[in-house]
Amino acid sequence: MALISVRSLTKQYPGPVTALDGLTVEIETGIVGLVGSNGAGKSTLLKILLGLIDATSGEATVFDMDVRTHGTDIRQFVGYMPEHDCLPPDASATDFVSHLALMSGLPRVAARERTAEVLRHVGLYEERYRAIGGYSTGMKQRVKLAQALVHDPRLLLLDEPTNGLDPAGRDEMLELVLRTGSEFGIAVIVASHLLGEIERVCNYLVAIEGGRLLRAAPLGAFTQQTGTLAVEVEEGSEALAARLSGQGLEAIADGRNVLIALTDERPYDIVRDTVVELGLPLVRIEQRRHKLEDLFRDRPDGPEVVAAASSPAAPAPATPEGDR
Amino acid sequence: MTTPISAGRPIGSIYDLGYRGYEGPRLGRAHAIRSLFLHSLRTAFGIGRGGRAKIAPITVGAMALLPAVALVGILTLASRFGERAEELLIGQAPIAYNTYFATITIPLVLFCAAQAPELFGRDQRHGVLSLYFARALQRTDYAIARIAGFVAALIVLQLLPNALMFGGRVLISPDILDGLRREVAPMPAVLAQVLLSSALLGCLAMVVSAFTPRRAYATAGLIALFLIPSIIAGVVTGLGSSGIGPWLILSSATSALDGTNAVLFNLAPDSFSFFVSLPDWAYFAAVLAGIAGSLAISIRRFAKITA
Repeated sequence: MALISVRSLTKQYPGPVTALDGLTVEIETGIVGLVGSNGAGKSTLLKILLGLIDATSGEATVFDMDVRTHGTDIRQFVGYMPEHDCLPPDASATDFVSHLALMSGLPRVAARERTAEVLRHVGLYEERYRAIGGYSTGMKQRVKLAQALVHDPRLLLLDEPTNGLDPAGRDEMLELVLRTGSEFGIAVIVASHLLGEIERVCNYLVAIEGGRLLRAAPLGAFTQQTGTLAVEVEEGSEALAARLSGQGLEAIADGRNVLIALTDERPYDIVRDTVVELGLPLVRIEQRRHKLEDLFRDRPDGPEVVAAASSPAAPAPATPEGDR
Repeated sequence: MTTPISAGRPIGSIYDLGYRGYEGPRLGRAHAIRSLFLHSLRTAFGIGRGGRAKIAPITVGAMALLPAVALVGILTLASRFGERAEELLIGQAPIAYNTYFATITIPLVLFCAAQAPELFGRDQRHGVLSLYFARALQRTDYAIARIAGFVAALIVLQLLPNALMFGGRVLISPDILDGLRREVAPMPAVLAQVLLSSALLGCLAMVVSAFTPRRAYATAGLIALFLIPSIIAGVVTGLGSSGIGPWLILSSATSALDGTNAVLFNLAPDSFSFFVSLPDWAYFAAVLAGIAGSLAISIRRFAKITA
């Protein structure tokens, strides 16, 4: 059975703002990236899974238990790292995390031991006895991760875990997420609008937009399908594009670049030969991997939108509902 | 950019024991509620918090304890110097079980104003609620455990001086058994008054703090809540005892509790802090309604609050 199963989940806030619009998706264990721009409904989905807010309609199960009726049972085995600030500045990391371990149902002695262990795991040492108010943003994010891990959950929900971190801090946090997910067998869902980060740690992606499922598939399926070959020439890009199109390639001139759709090895030779034939000053030939951003960049109303595959096992593109 | 971060263990980290799972018992919701109750009780006295958090509870606690300490001290001295301490005891000692609530009303109110916002305001101010609600607790559990912890703190704050008086009065009696018998007699009334006053003041203080995450506002609001109605009660008392006027004193929590105190200890009407007399049940009804109402509002508040 799926770890998480969501069926036509809708959440309407007063306003009316529709945060989730009939979302249906199944999520299996692993490190799953939940991607979408701000306001796509990522946080709302996580909060409904935790029972922090109620859905307007539809249903959701975690570990095969209904989130509305078995919230307490589910939450004993779920760790949650919220996006917002959630740490009291006057408590020490040790006191705060062990208190929350008790709140998860751990006995007192175990709570203390687990706290020491988990704070070490996230890389907080001597400073864990100091008040959190004096911590750097990076240390605070670590405490937030530690409190989510302290009761050894089976599922970890991380909402924008790299928020506010500098590049080094981001790398460290992502490494922690990766280790937690891959070494300890804890299922992780990472919500983020930063696709570049998501694709570094996740093996499965769920993309949502406007409260609807855009696509759910293994990471590879998002990035492999379409590659682009960019050929940069100092001049004559138009001519090159025209000539390449004449040879059956999909080529468009884009400033000094010519972008060629890459489906197999064939274009490399053709490009080389054509450039030589035309005697163009070639600057570089570069294979551009299809970026996840493209999912959102060209996401308008047209039928070319890659749309929902409701089952993760079958990521075949289907036609969008078309009412947007 | 697209290179995945290495999943391997850091090289050379001999001391890194890595992450270990937890196989021990998970005690669930009841344990979480109990723990939060104890945490609230401790936090109300500043235990487990920094030094500054202890200043207010220790000061107020000393204020609540001081009259009892003074009484015991004076009684002990008096018995040393051959005075007939027992006479003093049974006679008109100004500090006794039946006046103790009135004696320490102000420290109690100050304790509420200072410490209740610590319990409900802090979690809201720092966004901690979502961490509680994402655990084995339910929203109602959170509210009830916190309120119960604070009420328990008020009970402790009142029982301590009463226990001190009890011990002192028993020990200076010429016949300990006699003394014990004499002192146990008023205990049901003492306990009833302590429970009622702690529950009402505690629930009221918590409901105000639940709606005012900013600490300073909560403290000011609480002082207003306890002070303004008792001013009204004072004015009403001056106006005489006819019409609906006297009933207005029930709007003051401390006056209603003065009433239950007078009824429980069978005090003469003129020993009230006010002279208006209502039927006995009215004070109890007002106190119980206050407890139930503020409890219900608090629970509702946390059922709705965004976390």
